[in-house]
Amino acid sequence: MKASHLRHLAGFAAFIGIWQFLSTVGWINPVLLPSPERLIGAAWELLDAGILVTHTVASLWRVLIGFLLASAVGIGAGVILGFSPVLSDLFRPIVESLRPIPPIAWTPIAILWFGVGDAPSYFLVFIGAVFPVFVNTFSAVRNIDRTQINAALCLGAGPGILIKDVLIPASLPIIFPGLRIALGVGWMCVVAAELIAAQSGLGYMIQQNRVLLQTHYVVTGMITIGIVGFAMSAAMGLLERRLIPWMERPR
Amino acid sequence: MTAQLSIANLIKRFPVRGKAGGILALDGINLEVNSGEFVLLLGPSGCGKSTLLNVIAGFLKATEGQVLHEGKPIQGPDRRRTVVFQDYALFPWMTVQQNVEFGLKTQGMPAAERADVAHTFIDMVRLSGFEDRFPHEISGGMKQRAAIARALAPNPDILLMDEPFGALDAQTRVLLQEEVARISAETQNTVLFVTHSIEEAVFLGDRIVVMSARPGRIRAEYTVPIERPRTPEVRSRPEFIELTQELWNTLKPEWQNDTAGDDAEET
Repeated sequence: MKASHLRHLAGFAAFIGIWQFLSTVGWINPVLLPSPERLIGAAWELLDAGILVTHTVASLWRVLIGFLLASAVGIGAGVILGFSPVLSDLFRPIVESLRPIPPIAWTPIAILWFGVGDAPSYFLVFIGAVFPVFVNTFSAVRNIDRTQINAALCLGAGPGILIKDVLIPASLPIIFPGLRIALGVGWMCVVAAELIAAQSGLGYMIQQNRVLLQTHYVVTGMITIGIVGFAMSAAMGLLERRLIPWMERPR
Repeated sequence: MTAQLSIANLIKRFPVRGKAGGILALDGINLEVNSGEFVLLLGPSGCGKSTLLNVIAGFLKATEGQVLHEGKPIQGPDRRRTVVFQDYALFPWMTVQQNVEFGLKTQGMPAAERADVAHTFIDMVRLSGFEDRFPHEISGGMKQRAAIARALAPNPDILLMDEPFGALDAQTRVLLQEEVARISAETQNTVLFVTHSIEEAVFLGDRIVVMSARPGRIRAEYTVPIERPRTPEVRSRPEFIELTQELWNTLKPEWQNDTAGDDAEET
């Protein structure tokens, strides 16, 4: 294990240790913030009852659907607007004025439009994820290196090989980070949506337990959200290394 | 005997907003290149020599005039005329091997045969052992070697080289000039090579076509009275020194003006 990894663990252990100590000596009100010991117990209870897994799966499923929709629309629109200056002039001002609206601000209207259930969550994830995908795809298309295309053409590339072996790999290093950001934003949006407009999911679980003042379950839900988000980001990082091995990365 | 490449009364204009007729980049170019010839296009920056090369490659369309390859008009880019670019234009997502194979893959050559042919050319540019490196893992000089192998692999009629050593340091440049001299003698392709270096022109060319700037015209042609293949000793031969001096004296007045004028970017 590298020294930096050891330091990461040490920092983490110290944080939990101090938290537990302050709880044990009674300086922290257990209703406002349960001790780590209590949280481990709570996580075990929720896991044992199958509740935690059910809600996590529900949230993941929603984020997946919204993210796939956002990727399809974001990449499609980015490619089309990237290649067409006229369409870009027509639509970019609209996109740029919608982009600064935080996804959470869409929640009330999402409930009006779609009611309560899965649909508003799909919609809010989509709203959060579509802009990073679009912006990166658009700039990937706009910044295609003309010389590389010329090189491919003079070496006899037809449209098929040009798209598959040149245009797509040339855009991946720019589009992929957009997808990675989009998935992270989508994960935050799904939880926000579930707090208000769903009957399942980690957000719903948190909200329900807040009403019952079961803080240990609330915090357990929050920690689960953090762990899942971290795991998704790490998985995207691994995937990026596999898909784009030629990319130079800061060490 | 008809020339392999034949250019007659070529005019190239670039449209410019607010300027009637645009910019006249090439004005009445006439040039014939025979099979196997090594022709240098020499001129100051902004003289349109790269534009001329891009028209021959098929990347740009002539505004007027004729550009014929083996008697047929050039319609667009084509594997019979491959290009080595100043900034290499290697595909960063492909290894050296895959880059060199690219022009063979587009012909549908089977993988095993492709690997064989690529191996030959990688060997020729002395990059053996670096087949599996990505472009960002090798030096500028090695990148240009890989780009030369990639351009030669599909066995083009004409190799077009657009200031290929412009981005390299002086020592690497001299070494690569010697490599190109050796390789071109081996492969016998026709080569059209753009440069603004007089020494490079005299060292490599059978014939030097001198261009003048704004608008780009052919000003003079020189035949280099030295046999090929060229070896490093050529640089100290009296003919080499004499011709270099002569070209320098003819070009000096215009190049002095050029450094005073704007540095128009040519494409």
